[in-house]
Formats: sequence, structure tokens, C-alpha cells
Amino acid sequence: MAAEELRGSHGEQRHHVLTSLFGTEDLHTLDVYRRHGGYGSLEKALTGMAPEEVHAEVKTSGLRGRGGAGFATGTKWGFIPKDIPGPRYVVVNADESEPGTSKDRYLMENSPHMLLEGVCIACYAVGAHQAWIYIRGEYDGPYRRLVDAIAELRADGILGARPFGKDFPLDIQLYRGHGAYICGEETALLESLEGKRAQPRSRPPFPAVKGAWGRPTLLNNVETLATLPWIVRHGGAEYAKFGTERSRGTRLLSVSGNVRRPGVYEVELGVSFRHVIMELAGGPPDGRRVKVFWPGGSSAPVLPESMLDTSTDLDELARVGSIAGSGGVIVMDDSHCVVRAAHRLLRFYAHESCGKCTPCRVGGNWAVRTFERILSGEGGAIDLQILDRIQESLQFGRCLCGLGDAAGWVIMSTMRHFRDEYEEHALRNECSVAKVPAHA
Amino acid sequence: MPLSAHAVEEIRALPARFPEIRSAVMPALDIAQEEAGHLTQEAMTEVAELLKLDPGYVVGVATFYTLFHLEPVGRHHFSVCTNLSCALRGAVEICDHIKRRIGVGDFKEVSTDGLFSVEEVECLGACEYAPMMRYAHRYHYDLTNEKVDALIDAAREDGHGR
Repeated sequence: MAAEELRGSHGEQRHHVLTSLFGTEDLHTLDVYRRHGGYGSLEKALTGMAPEEVHAEVKTSGLRGRGGAGFATGTKWGFIPKDIPGPRYVVVNADESEPGTSKDRYLMENSPHMLLEGVCIACYAVGAHQAWIYIRGEYDGPYRRLVDAIAELRADGILGARPFGKDFPLDIQLYRGHGAYICGEETALLESLEGKRAQPRSRPPFPAVKGAWGRPTLLNNVETLATLPWIVRHGGAEYAKFGTERSRGTRLLSVSGNVRRPGVYEVELGVSFRHVIMELAGGPPDGRRVKVFWPGGSSAPVLPESMLDTSTDLDELARVGSIAGSGGVIVMDDSHCVVRAAHRLLRFYAHESCGKCTPCRVGGNWAVRTFERILSGEGGAIDLQILDRIQESLQFGRCLCGLGDAAGWVIMSTMRHFRDEYEEHALRNECSVAKVPAHA
Repeated sequence: MPLSAHAVEEIRALPARFPEIRSAVMPALDIAQEEAGHLTQEAMTEVAELLKLDPGYVVGVATFYTLFHLEPVGRHHFSVCTNLSCALRGAVEICDHIKRRIGVGDFKEVSTDGLFSVEEVECLGACEYAPMMRYAHRYHYDLTNEKVDALIDAAREDGHGR
């Protein structure tokens, strides 16, 4: 893999939990990773800690899942039953596909072993001997990195019958996805891993009890797991010193769109989006203003420029009507039309709907057709009412998974903050934006 | 065209990797697709027989996932992200340029010489390098018309090799 210019955090900084070694030559090799203390945390856990002690450190850390839902990791681990005999699995959600999100790719390319060490630690903590990494099929580079890294671990014995002399066999297998956004949803991912069409399961039973191949399964995101080596090494209390009261630690934000320095930035939770967008990512191009941003992937309800001072704290984002989601920060400047952007995203949600739940299967395409009418100048007041009706029908638990809600949020939030642009298009066939993409 | 002996052997070895045989269906379809460039009805039936699955089941899986091609694609197939982060940085214009250069009117149409096709795909997770695409099992970043031209010219010279 050709060395690409690193766009994002790397090197030592006070708050760099994940990225402090990024940029180190050959960090992706076992040799270099170990030279920098790699697998010291796994050795510490296996040889000096009981699984419950590892679990306790994660609880103390306050770590919340970095895949999108922000659920407390320690609590999730606690759902894995201790008394069910037979195999149990750790399944890694490396199916990163939320639009605007590239941080797991950044992480796996730079330090595959940091993820693998985290996976091994999680296996030990929940008593699993086998892990599966479900990685999206398009991620050729990260896949090759992981294939090589796993081969190194097998040769070294860290994956094998007695890692670090401990009678706790460990193995990690890779499974490639085949292009379906829905697989980011954990039960759809499990269906896919089992060789089926990826349609979310109804719950209960939850994966913790009945997951992959009917067995107790822990599912965690790449970034969540990659944080574990640091937590085990320094202790959960040290990790909890970063961040805010309810959002501990640091996280990776992928900043993209109309900014001068797009990249994957590690931030301490609680910094403002103004800091992330205007300082870290350099703000919009010359002569442009930030018009709107998606704070947590395309599924996160949009926030207008006037809300740039909003905190990256997970609960604070929920309080202002959005979500922290996957940490994909998409920035759009004032040369672009919000209605066209919403249309593009609705095409995405309509395309990726698995078809299981009626509101999502029907609503997405219905919304796309309505947007097409509006944008072609054939819209009217009724179309705005239709969009409003659709977004409402997609939300509030009417679908088995969050894809329907997300599609609804795109419509709801863009209409809430940019009602005038919708009316321009629908009622007067005008677009006040100077320059718009040829077609969205 | 039936699957090669080598492909059949590889597919037969797959189920041992998984707790249940059905998990082998997508890796098996990968092997089949690698042979012809896309999945033919015949190949899907063969995969079903090798894995002792119903042919309809295998087709059902293949039709769900976008990385399986049910129609022929060019020997050089460009998958350009046009989701928001890339669209904001010119991805749609890149697609238009590729279509003109390879002489196709629409996405998924194959050029008359069979060499090229282009499709728009959803976010590929490399947004800091937008606009970008996947081609020949790797990512290509910061796309410009010139970069795309260079790839197309090299492919024309090469003539084959997916």
C-alpha cells in the first residue's frame, strides 16, 4: 500500500490516546508496535488481572461506544452471560459506512495491532476465545493490513493456545462485507456474517445472549476496542480524566466537505465544533462561510452555522436536537444548496434500506421522488407537507433499526433550519445559492 | 462457462472456516465473481450446489449486496463515491468526465470495447481525500480530471487486468 499523506492527528500530544504513535515508520508491523510497548496491555491483563478487573477498569473509564449509539461499553460487556457453556464470540464492527466517517479506516491503516490488541483484551474480559472482524469489503488497504498483522500474531504465538503463557487460547478471523450500509447495525451485521441478507433482527433476544450463530456475542466498534490497550495500561481513572462528566475520554472526528484541512482529528470530548471545524480543519475555503454541518455522520440532524459553539459532548449534542453518532463531521459552505444536499442523502437512505420495515422501504423512495419534483420546479406547497409527513412516519421507533430514523432526521432537521430554501424551491422554483453542484 | 477446477476447490474448502456452512456463501460468490468479472446465473447455481444451498437462496444473497455484479462490468471498473463529502468537492463532475472519456452515456454501461465502466457508489470512508474512488482493489484519492485521464490511458495501454 502506497504511503498516503496522513490527514489528521498523529504524534505526541497531551490528549492523544489513540493517535500518539501514528506517523511512526512501520507502526503497522508487530515489531515496531511492540517496541513502543504494544501488547504490554494484553500481557498485563492476561498475566496479572482477572477478567472482572479488566471489566472494572473499562467501567471506571466511562468509555462509550464510538460506533454511533454511544452506549456505555462497560455496561454492554455486563450483558454477556457468564454461565452459558459453549462458544461465545467477540465481533468487531469494522463496517464503517456512515457517510462522512473515515476514522476506523484511519485507525486500521495506521495501527492495525492497536485494534487487534484491544480485541484480544475484550475476548479475555468476556471469556471469548474467538473473535471475528467484520470489515467492509471496499476497505482493501485496511484488510491487507489486518491479514498481515494477524499472520504476525499467529507466528508469534500471541494468537494461539497459550498467549503470554496463559492458558487462554485466542484467535481472530476476518470476514469481508459486500457493500451494505445496513451492516453497521449490529444485528444486520450478524445476519450478514451468517451468510444471509442483512436485515436487522427484532430484539430481544439481544446479541449478548443470542448473537453470532446463536451464541452469546459482544459487538464493539473498531475505535472502541482500540482504546482498550490505553485503558488497561494507564487505568480507567486516567482515561476518565479526559473529556466531560458524561462523555469521558477522547474520540476521533472525521472532518470532511468544505474545509481547508479535511482529516481525522483526535479531540478531547467537550471541545466545541467551532474548534474542530474552524481551527483543526482550517475552516471553509476563502470567501466562504460555514452554512451547515452534520456533527456525527449524515444521520445526525444538521446544525446551522449559528450553532458552531455546540460541544462535542454526547449528551450536549442530544440536548440541542442532534446526535454525536459516528463522529463524521461534514461541513457544507454557503455555495451549496441544502435541498440538493438533503436529496443526495435521501437517495442514499432509500438505496440502503434493507426493505424489511415498510416506513423505511416506502418512505425513502417516496421522499426521493418528492425531492425530484421540488428540484425540477414542479413542486408545490403539498410537497413540503408530504416531506413533513414522511419524516414523521420514519421516526419514533416505527422501524426495527435506526436507518429509517436517520432518513427522517435529514428531512426534519434541514427543513427546521432551512425552511426558506425549501420554500424557494417548492413554491417559486428558485435557488438563492450562487453556485450549486451540477446535479446532486 | 462453468467455474474452474481451482475455484471449485477453493469454494469446497470454505465451509470449514465457519461454524455454519451458510457463512461461506459470500466468500464463495467472491471467488465465482473473480472468474468472470460478474456473477452469472450459472455460477450462482454452481455455488449453491457446492455449498448444498438452494439456488434461490444464493441469488437472494447476491442481489442484496452492491459488491456483487449481476451484469457484466468493464475490465476496468471505476467506483466513484458521490455521497455528500465527495459531491461537495466535485465528485459529480469527475463522474461526468469519466463517462465522456470512456464513451458511455450512463453509469454501469460498458464501453463498446468492453474495457471500461463506471458506477457511482455510496461513501467509501476516505472522506478526507475527497473526491475519491475505488479502482483495481485500491483507493485513489484527491481525484482530478488529469489523474483520472492518466489511469484511463494506462488501462488502455494495458488492455486488461481487473
